[in-house]
Amino acid sequence: MRRAAPLGWPERVDLWDRALAVVRAHFRGEGLREVSTPVRVAHVALEPYIEPIAAPPGLLATSPELAMKRLLCRGSGSIFQIAHVFRRAEIGARHSEEFHLIEWYRVEAALAEGRRDVEALVAAVIEVAGGEGPRRWESHGILDVVDETLGVRLRGDEEAGVLAELAAARGLPLVAVGLDDHDLEVRRLAAWTAFLSEWSDRHLDPWLLARAERGIHLGDFPPALAALAELVEVGDGPRVAARFESFVGGVELANGYQELRDAGDQRRRFVAVAGLRRALGLPPLALDQAFLGDLEGRGLPRAAGVALGLDRLLMLAVGASSLADISLALGAPGHPADGA
Amino acid sequence: MDVSDLRKNAKLQIDGHPYVVVDFQFVKPGKGQGLYKCKIKNMITGSVLDRTWRSGEKLEAANVESRKMQYLFSTGEAFAFMDNQTYEQVELAADLIGDDARFLLDNLECDVLFFNDRPVGVSLPSHIVVEVIEAEPGVKADNATGMTKGATVSTGYNLQVPLFIKVGERIKIDTRTGDYIERVNN
Repeated sequence: MRRAAPLGWPERVDLWDRALAVVRAHFRGEGLREVSTPVRVAHVALEPYIEPIAAPPGLLATSPELAMKRLLCRGSGSIFQIAHVFRRAEIGARHSEEFHLIEWYRVEAALAEGRRDVEALVAAVIEVAGGEGPRRWESHGILDVVDETLGVRLRGDEEAGVLAELAAARGLPLVAVGLDDHDLEVRRLAAWTAFLSEWSDRHLDPWLLARAERGIHLGDFPPALAALAELVEVGDGPRVAARFESFVGGVELANGYQELRDAGDQRRRFVAVAGLRRALGLPPLALDQAFLGDLEGRGLPRAAGVALGLDRLLMLAVGASSLADISLALGAPGHPADGA
Repeated sequence: MDVSDLRKNAKLQIDGHPYVVVDFQFVKPGKGQGLYKCKIKNMITGSVLDRTWRSGEKLEAANVESRKMQYLFSTGEAFAFMDNQTYEQVELAADLIGDDARFLLDNLECDVLFFNDRPVGVSLPSHIVVEVIEAEPGVKADNATGMTKGATVSTGYNLQVPLFIKVGERIKIDTRTGDYIERVNN
């Protein structure tokens, strides 16, 4: 990535104009249709550490995922969206409470097609910005990288206690949340989330920076972190989540799922997140019963779905180190200030 | 307070000490826990340390305020200050003043830091103007060479000054470094 002087306002406007156009051109060329779903919603997908911003009588969308899946359940076919999304108290050089998520779903597609979209979008946006993209892309299993960096082979179905011991042995600080009286699913979700968060900070970030000239997809997540992705068999080990994350220049850009279609499994995962949120003292969030009803009643077509942060991609494309350097936000709340 | 309230300049209480956040970095892996990486400064001792907090952790906000007060006198063990608005007087133990004592001029206006309503420290103006009460005789010819000599000012502080400075003259001193800045006329 080249280093660039801070962009002036006309250059920023030009950058966004080119990027938005090239993103739309990519998906239109691939036969996806553009949608625009509400920014204010009744419910958000439950995640342990993604906090919505209240907008009475609803919430600002943290992602367009549930709204787009409900369209898929109604026969939309493959769709994409460039959505404004909001996540409370996430402000930093690479975080903004409001940002642009490019989200797309390919019906009847495998996850590999989602990865190819990521690669094509990254290349196209960086090209129109005049930057230099990754020379090549590699895919790794996330537990293979854990093995490479920590020297321990995890299966992905380890219990909370095993992870706590491993973390202690490797000097990874895990926040102790008093979860002993919570059920197994909640404890496993808490432990895997905390373990991989700390590992990511201490080990994955340097590992990625050593490969900054390449694009990296990490896949095969532990089932506890499947979120809204399907579990699949890989070889004769335990099942893994059909989910990937993509990184460029050490920066996390995208997250993709082979979408979970089983309403019962989806409900159980949301309930586990709700349990963890309760244990952490986070404000309760209601389950989106209408979304779960659509999964159950109408059925979600087999689909691969991906979300990619457009602001971060533009930051990388021009060689900037903060979202503030490419943002068009003039004094809007929740955006990183210059120098953040 | 919640960790998500952490910002630059936020004031926290840790192990009974007030700290101010001087540098702040938020990182968060995808769907993981946010890490709030901070540099925090002990508001009493000035020592700086690195601390990382995680989403969900709770912090204690520090009840600190700074009040403009005037320095009155010292008993040797303690230093007395007065609030010019309320005439309230407070005393700070000498060890809380530390080396700053050498710049405490009578009637100097300072910021006194209160932690849980108790005075715990003083921050001085960045420079003070004081009278030279003792100085080695200067040698006029050496003015241009940048040579210095020892001098004592009215607060009892000894420092190096240029050779042309004479007893009875007033000079400006940087209170952060203790260095001579310039001669002040009249």
